[in-house]
Amino acid sequence: MGYMEIIIGGIFVNNILLAQFLGNCPFLGTSKKMETAVGMAMAVVFVLVLAGVITWLLYAFFLVPYKLVYMRTIAFILVIASLVQFVEMFLKKSIPALYAGLGIFLPLITTNCAVFGACILNIDKELSFMKTLVQSTAYAMGFGLALILFAGVRERIILSRVPKPLQDTSIGLVTAGILSLTFYAFKGMI
Amino acid sequence: MAKTLTQEFTKGLWEEIAPFRLVLGLCPVLGVTTTVENGIGMGLATTFVLVFSNLLVASLRNIIPSKVRIACFIIIIATFVVVTELLMQAFAYTLFLKLGVFIPLIVVNCIVLGRAEAFASKNSITLSIADGLGIGIGFTLSLAALGSLRELFGANNLTIWTTPTSVIGVQEVFGPHFQPFSFMVQAPGAFVCLGLMLCIMNLLGSK
Amino acid sequence: MRELIKMVIVLTVLAVLSGGLLSGFRNATAARIEVQQLKFVKGPAITAILKGVSNDPIEDRFAIKDGETERKVFVGKFDDKANTVVLESFGKGYGGDIGLMVAINMEDDTIVGAAVTTHSETPGLGARAKGDPGFVSQFKSLSINDSFKVTADGGRVNAMSGATITSRAVCAAATEAGGIYQRMKPQLIEKLKEFNK
Repeated sequence: MGYMEIIIGGIFVNNILLAQFLGNCPFLGTSKKMETAVGMAMAVVFVLVLAGVITWLLYAFFLVPYKLVYMRTIAFILVIASLVQFVEMFLKKSIPALYAGLGIFLPLITTNCAVFGACILNIDKELSFMKTLVQSTAYAMGFGLALILFAGVRERIILSRVPKPLQDTSIGLVTAGILSLTFYAFKGMI
Repeated sequence: MAKTLTQEFTKGLWEEIAPFRLVLGLCPVLGVTTTVENGIGMGLATTFVLVFSNLLVASLRNIIPSKVRIACFIIIIATFVVVTELLMQAFAYTLFLKLGVFIPLIVVNCIVLGRAEAFASKNSITLSIADGLGIGIGFTLSLAALGSLRELFGANNLTIWTTPTSVIGVQEVFGPHFQPFSFMVQAPGAFVCLGLMLCIMNLLGSK
Repeated sequence: MRELIKMVIVLTVLAVLSGGLLSGFRNATAARIEVQQLKFVKGPAITAILKGVSNDPIEDRFAIKDGETERKVFVGKFDDKANTVVLESFGKGYGGDIGLMVAINMEDDTIVGAAVTTHSETPGLGARAKGDPGFVSQFKSLSINDSFKVTADGGRVNAMSGATITSRAVCAAATEAGGIYQRMKPQLIEKLKEFNK
C-alpha cells in the first residue's frame, strides 16, 4: 500500500466518521456551531496523531516483546487518557492561546472513539511506523474535514423549518447520511 | 429508596433507552448493525461490561477518591472489556471477527462510562446492577431493531445467529425476486435509518 | 497529604487487581482461543487440502522445535492411519509474506495438497493464489524433496499469468516447507507413532 493510497483512503474513502462510524458522539454533539466544530477538529487532529504514534511505539516495543498483546485495550486507553491530561497541562502552561481555544474539548477526547479506534486500526492493519504516522494524520484530517463540513450544513438547517419530530439529532443524522453518500463517491479511487 | 428495583430496570428499556433518548454510544449503533446477529452480539457484549462495571463501581463507591474517580472507572471498564474480548475469542470467534474493532471500543462507549459516573457511583449495588441490566438490554434491543431493519431491506435476510455449520434465521424474507436496497447496509444508510428511527421515537414519545 | 496517599493506594490496588484478573482469564482461555483461531484462520486451508481425513487435524496437532522457532504440525489420518503431516511455511511475496499450508504423505514424501493461508497481495492478481485451486493443485503428488521453481526460472510450476512474483513466493514457500520437513523428519516419525497407537 503506497502513501498516496493511505492518504486518500484515510481522508475520503475510509473516512473515520462517515465510513467507519468512529467518533460519532462529538460529531453530533459539537457540530451545531461552526466555532465549536473547528475547536473540536483541531483538538482531535492534535491528539489523534500523537496517540497514534505513541500507541504504535508502546505496542511494538513493550506489548509484543513481553507477550502482553491481550492487554492492548487497557494499555491504549490508559495511554490516551494520560496523554490528554498531559497535553492539557502542557498547553495551559506553555501555549495559553491554543489552550483557550481547545481547552474545553480536550477532556472529551478521552472517550472519543475516533482516537482510540484509529489507534486500534493502525495496529490491526500491521502498518509500519511511518505508515502509522501518515495514516493517523489522514484519519485526523478526514475527521476535521467531515466535522467542519457537517457543521456548515447544520448551521443552515437551524434557519430552515424542520418538522417537529425530525428536529435536532434526527435531521442531523439524515444529513450525515447524505454527507456520507457524497464521501462514498470517492470509493472508486483506490 | 426513591425508586424501586423494577423501575430502575425498566427505565433503560423505554424512558431512557440509550441510543434514542440520550443519543449516546452511537458508534457501535451505526457501525455493527448491518445484520441482526451483529447487533445482538454487540448489545450483549456491552451489557456484560455495563453490568459488571456498574457492580464494581457501586461496591467501591465509598473507597474511590473523587479526584481520581474517572481514572478508576476507566481501569474497571477496560478490565471487563478485555475479559469480554478473551471470552468472545474463546467462545464466539466468528462473531468476534465480524465485530472487529468495535469490541475494544466498548471501553470508550459513552454509555458505560456515563452509567458508572451518573448512576453506579451514587447508588447501591443491587440498584446499579438493575440499572446496568436495563440500559444494556435497552441498548441490545435498539441495536437489534436497527439491525433487523437494515438487514431486512438491505440484504433480504434476517440472521439471528450463525454457527459454523448452520444459520439460524430467515433467508430471502421477501422471496428470491426481491432486489435488496444495498444502500441500507452501507454507511449512508446507517445514518439515514437511525435518523428516521429517532424521528419515529420522537413521534411516539411526544404524545 | 492523606488524600494523596489514598489516591495512589487505591489506583495501585485497582491496577494490580485488574492485572491479576486479566492474566488469570488469559491463562484460563488461552488454550481454547488457540483452537478457535486455528479453526477459523488455518482450518479452511487444512480441510481443503486434507479431503477425506478420518480425524480432526486441528485437534490432533503438536508443536516441535526447529532450532529457535516452534512449529505447529497438524496430523491427518487416512483410513485410521496417521500418515500425513501438515505444516505451514512462508515465502516473500509482493506485499509481504505468503503463507502456504503443505500436506505431506510421510510414507512416500509426496505432497498431498497445498493451500495459501495468509497474503497481502494486490487483489485480483496475487490474491488469486488463495482462491484459484488450479495453481496450487500443481504441487499435488510432487515429491517434497524437490525444489520448486516457476517455468520462467527453469522449473516446472506454471506461474499464474500476471502474478509471477506471487507464484515465485508460493514456490519458495513450498521449497521452504521441504527444507523444514527434511530437517524434522526423524522427530515427525516419532510423533506420528504416538498417534498410531
